[in-house]
Amino acid sequence: MAEDTFLTDDFLRQLINVGEVDILVGLPTHNNAKTVGSIVKTIQSGILRWFPRERAVIINADGGSRDGTPEIVTSISIDDVRRGPNPYALRTLHSISTKYATTPAAPAAFRTILAAADLLQAKACVVMSPESCSVEDEWISKLLRPILNDGFDLVTPTYRRHKFEGVLITNLLYPMTRALYGLRLREPYAQEFGFSGRLGGEFLPQNVWDDGGAGSGIELRFILSAITAQHRICQCFLGQKDHVERRGSDLVPALRQTVGPLFSALEPDFPFWSAVTGSQPLLTIGPHQEVLLDLVRVNRKRLREMFTAGVAELATVFQSILSPDTLAELQRVALLGENDFDYPAELWVKTVYEFAASYHKSVISRDHIIQALAPLFRGRALAFLTEQRNGSAEDVENCTESLCLEFERLKPYLLQMWKSRE
Amino acid sequence: MPLNQDVLWYKDAIIYQVHVRTFYDSNGDGIGDFQGLEQKLGYLQELGINAIWLMPFFPSPLRDDGYDIADYNTVHSSYGTLEDFHKLLDSAHSRGIRVIIEMVLNHTSDQHPWFQESRSSQENPRRDWYVWSDTDNRYTGTRIIFLDTEKSNWAWDPISKSYYWHRFFSHQPDLNYDNPAVREQMWNVMKFWLEMGVDAFRLDAVPYLVEREGTNCENLPETHAILKDFRRRLDEQFPGRMLLAEANQWPADLRPYFGDGDEFHMAFHFPLMPRMFMGLKLEDRKPITEILQQTPEIPSSCQWSLFLRNHDELTLEMVTDIERDYMYDSYAENKTMRLNLGIRRRLAPLLDNDRRRIELMNGMLMSLPGTPIIYYGDEIGMGDNINLGDRNGVRTPMQWSGGWNGGFSTAEPDRLYAPLIQNPVYGYPAVNVVSQLGSGHSLLHWMQSIIAVRRSTAVFGRGSIEFLHPANHRILAYVRRLGNESVLVVNNLSGAAQAVELDLRRYKGNIPIEMFGKNIFPRVGEVPYLLTLGPYQFFWFRLRRI
Repeated sequence: MAEDTFLTDDFLRQLINVGEVDILVGLPTHNNAKTVGSIVKTIQSGILRWFPRERAVIINADGGSRDGTPEIVTSISIDDVRRGPNPYALRTLHSISTKYATTPAAPAAFRTILAAADLLQAKACVVMSPESCSVEDEWISKLLRPILNDGFDLVTPTYRRHKFEGVLITNLLYPMTRALYGLRLREPYAQEFGFSGRLGGEFLPQNVWDDGGAGSGIELRFILSAITAQHRICQCFLGQKDHVERRGSDLVPALRQTVGPLFSALEPDFPFWSAVTGSQPLLTIGPHQEVLLDLVRVNRKRLREMFTAGVAELATVFQSILSPDTLAELQRVALLGENDFDYPAELWVKTVYEFAASYHKSVISRDHIIQALAPLFRGRALAFLTEQRNGSAEDVENCTESLCLEFERLKPYLLQMWKSRE
Repeated sequence: MPLNQDVLWYKDAIIYQVHVRTFYDSNGDGIGDFQGLEQKLGYLQELGINAIWLMPFFPSPLRDDGYDIADYNTVHSSYGTLEDFHKLLDSAHSRGIRVIIEMVLNHTSDQHPWFQESRSSQENPRRDWYVWSDTDNRYTGTRIIFLDTEKSNWAWDPISKSYYWHRFFSHQPDLNYDNPAVREQMWNVMKFWLEMGVDAFRLDAVPYLVEREGTNCENLPETHAILKDFRRRLDEQFPGRMLLAEANQWPADLRPYFGDGDEFHMAFHFPLMPRMFMGLKLEDRKPITEILQQTPEIPSSCQWSLFLRNHDELTLEMVTDIERDYMYDSYAENKTMRLNLGIRRRLAPLLDNDRRRIELMNGMLMSLPGTPIIYYGDEIGMGDNINLGDRNGVRTPMQWSGGWNGGFSTAEPDRLYAPLIQNPVYGYPAVNVVSQLGSGHSLLHWMQSIIAVRRSTAVFGRGSIEFLHPANHRILAYVRRLGNESVLVVNNLSGAAQAVELDLRRYKGNIPIEMFGKNIFPRVGEVPYLLTLGPYQFFWFRLRRI
């Protein structure tokens, strides 16, 4: 059992009352009152519909909400006093909440959920995002059944997305994770995923909770840990992924949460990924993904300006990070006209790999390295958006696949950079 | 020991349900009889029960184990004579044991002379004593109760060349209670036994007495009116006697059977029983507390009757489809165990012969509000034989000893009315009264002690109930109160040890005294009262303020 001293007495008391469970649904929150109500009702519905006989609990790890989020979550408990919308629910369903901190911190939230799963001996767990308004009660079943029935340890999602959604995933996280870790896992940074109690119990005692570098993006770290430990993993098509309006200023935090943890993980995982060649497909329940093609407006001019300005303004920073050839090529691209603009796959892959190697060596502050990637990513995004402006779903998939193969092909380049920097 | 003269004696009763045929054979013919039962009254008195409920002992072709009656005014010759019954009655009364007998009002055997006359011609004076029709499409929508064997509630009579109505087996035609002569005759039947000294009737199948087009033919106002009339006559002519309703209905539909204290004295709480089993398997009190919270208040002179098992299948009629499926999967995976809408197993096999669960279920039986009924043989943990067909597997001979025929009869084994249970776990060499009397920690001794504790206070039979709702859903906790007396009951429905915090602020200052060992526990204060319970453990605490 994990030695957890960060659990409050009140939370422990609540866990005692819950007792051993078969299913645990973890819900990290912070001021999500606008969205969490419908989500917990969907979770409740999913449990009652798909797992009416299983012992289940909803664990809300809250980061100090002030809008009543925890109360909304706990209100959907079903017991002999509060019977909920389903008068024929066989069992009590506990929905409990704990405040793990006064400010939100994803690692602490996840750790709380894992600790609860460990103490309650949960067989199967699922983490849900408090912001996914498109969640359906069937997601509970899709993420849990492979664990309960087929012995999988990790179930990651695939989604139906617009072709211009999730560019960071399709152009960096997925292909790089695939190339390095050898598994074609489409959503390495998942906000909804299922895992076995066994996997959660193995991850909980790892020394990842106080590492500021890996602190954010803990979910990514968790998934990579499952891969390196060679747990049984599959992915499952869930359905529509909410479209989240992102402002330009959101990119750096997003990179910190995703690319930073990925780069950080490469160090301890080096023995694993350095030995991997190629990649293996993953059992996928349902489609790998579905692509929506409706027209959306993209401010390509703005993207190009930010790319070009970034290349110019951060030239001295890039000199520390990139090889002279790569930097020169980027500067050439930055001079291309609007109609000729392209950020070829090979150049992009080399860019990312050189950043990773530089991150490993900490040539400058690691956070600055991540920040410096932002304008370059915008350039790559621009190239992708331009190329796929009229692209079909097949075109998008082919483009992604092609990029993945390029990451795989150039993996030795990364290894060379990695070692040369040591 | 004289009988308790309190008119509300049934509230303090511990009832033992037994079939004469199954209990003890005094004359070596392989069938239990009245004299045999009389000889075993001492055993029952030692057990601590103070009422016996005898299953039907009337003349009958026995196609439904005696619930198909061919003569209401005497006893089946296999069980003895009317005089034997009278002696049993007197003997029981002398030991302070009351006698409840069956009265099947709704139907007779098709061998009953009344039916034979009724079917003989349309002009027969008893023609209208049963429910006849030229077609079988009257009263459509009425549910079929014996689903496994009957396809219709109408049966074609080739003699009468018309259909007759039957809510149970087709050889059990329903009496026509719209006929005043029928009502008068059935009161005379009851009067016959009341004058003999019988203390109470369990009235079988009462919801179905009257039929009306456009209804489900159950619980109709006309049925209640008839029952109220019987009750009025009973109170006038035989005060202190009791009527117990067998009405397998939802609590809200059961409530009318109590009337305003002017219909039945008691009724079986059918919906509670399967939910006790469900709560145990789920390790969750929710099914139990919910059904009791839905149970309406009843007149102060009335009483629920509680039971774990009986001669019938563990009925799953009054549960939802989800609950029924769960119960089947949990307790009757082998489909042979399923009958009609129920499970035909005894208590011990249902609970995997787990002594702790058997004790817990009996603990709840004895402490929840109502009068408990113990099914014969369950006090020693008898098993069943599902291969005997219909519900006969739970009606095997009582196991008195490990000797010849389990001590039930001196007859040759193949003459017994039913074979004894013989498997290594539940067979009579392993499970019998003699062995358990000789073992201080046997189930039988434990049953004796819990009955004694139950009878040590009136609070269980007559008190109110207040449920506590601790956050630990595996704990079923409640307080029974009567006057100044309060008893706290805490049950762990889980097979794992549990900790529970109880909000007992209302009882602050009281000292809980555990009722079996009489040891004192820490005084109740302001803070939540912490208890830890072992697997399936329960506590009864008398709350004393000193």
